[in-house]
Amino acid sequence: MNEQNITEALRTENIEIDLLITAIKRKIGYDLSGYARASIKRRIAQLVIDENVSCIADLIPKLLYSPQCQANFINSLTVNVSELFRHPVSFLSLRKSVLPYLASFPRRDIWIAGCATGEEAYSMAILLEEVGLLNKTQIHATDINTEVLKQAKTGILTKGLNKEDAARYQASGGTSSLSNYFSTAYNKHKLSQHLLDHISFSHHNILQDKVFCSAQLVMCRNVMIYFDLKTQDSALALFHNSLVQNGYLVIGEKESLFNSSLNSLLVTTDEPAKIYQRKSSDNA
Amino acid sequence: MPSFSVFIGGSAGSISPIITILSSLPADFKLIITLVVHSSGCDKTSMPEALASSCALTVIEISDKERVKPNTIYVAPGGYHLYVENENSYSLSVDKKEHYSRPAIDVLFNSAAEVFGRQCIAILLSGANEDGAEGLLNVKRHGGLTIVQSPESSQVSIMPQNAIENGAATKVLSPIEISRLLLNYNDINSL
Repeated sequence: MNEQNITEALRTENIEIDLLITAIKRKIGYDLSGYARASIKRRIAQLVIDENVSCIADLIPKLLYSPQCQANFINSLTVNVSELFRHPVSFLSLRKSVLPYLASFPRRDIWIAGCATGEEAYSMAILLEEVGLLNKTQIHATDINTEVLKQAKTGILTKGLNKEDAARYQASGGTSSLSNYFSTAYNKHKLSQHLLDHISFSHHNILQDKVFCSAQLVMCRNVMIYFDLKTQDSALALFHNSLVQNGYLVIGEKESLFNSSLNSLLVTTDEPAKIYQRKSSDNA
Repeated sequence: MPSFSVFIGGSAGSISPIITILSSLPADFKLIITLVVHSSGCDKTSMPEALASSCALTVIEISDKERVKPNTIYVAPGGYHLYVENENSYSLSVDKKEHYSRPAIDVLFNSAAEVFGRQCIAILLSGANEDGAEGLLNVKRHGGLTIVQSPESSQVSIMPQNAIENGAATKVLSPIEISRLLLNYNDINSL
């Protein structure tokens, strides 16, 4: 193919992507138009391979006429990966600077938005257990993806427990041994039931649903990287609305509030740890 | 005329050629340089600092949706795939690894090819992996320039060799020749 044909093929492909996104929105109500283009494009390309079709447009009839494809498509396009104690610097700072403040509340609600296969929520439960705050704390873990939620609810680690997990746990200030929080059977590691009992897993779409709960702490990491700037802004507004006054927001290691209009409504608690605090209304 | 944009991918043995290339560039070098290096290519996460000390340009580790500023070298953070989102910004993802790597060179080159077309200059350096060849082919198809470090100048020649055998290289050059070529393009760009 010569260069001109390539440019034309690229143009056609972009039309196909727009049409697929429109079809998904109209058929199943999920609006993916605010996703960052480059990464959603790569996921769509993967879907073309997995579904064994010749072009993106061929995904559209499948989407329209097969209920099974509808669920499968949305789950493939929105799947996020996670790991225990990801970005330990952040967990260490939560332990030292944020949880002592949360201890002053009689009851606590923590919202993990975009919980993927549950590791972030499990890590939070372990952390709370170690500082004696698990009792009277409810962790609300939500995701758009029904497939990962099903997995997360089981408490079973998808990738098992390895040396790297233990190292991140230690770097997070862990005071015990990570394996103490999991029971092992048939080579699978399952989070202890008394920890799992403090986590509820629910379906929630950050881009379209309302505030999930009122929370002292909202954690949403490596989810907004998949959104464009405008969509990141609405997600941040949702999290801000969810927070009680002086409540804390935690975002991903490489995410930033710098481009957001919400920047002025949040105070930086710990920049390397990506922890911010909602200003109370009297000093807003 | 829109500016050329330079994308460099390296793996094992690529730090030395990267330093050779970057240290030859003046502080007012006009072309934006974006760098993906596999974790096997450097032993520290502090690569931006290591590079900054050896070159005249500002070196930044990319954050999500980072806006591009002139006279700057942008480095992909470890653990994330790096995409060119549009001519002015980047985006990141934690999608599954490619060629056992995240960041993967193919991911950067593929997105750069589509955004920059003829203005894309992609450079593949030393490494023990097959990453980069597919991305270079895409850059080439979109009319961009593809450069592969010559296997004899590479500490580990598997990655350059693989790209050359796949017909992905427009030019095969040593690190010093790559520096000269970039300086030439910088002059063309300044006209």
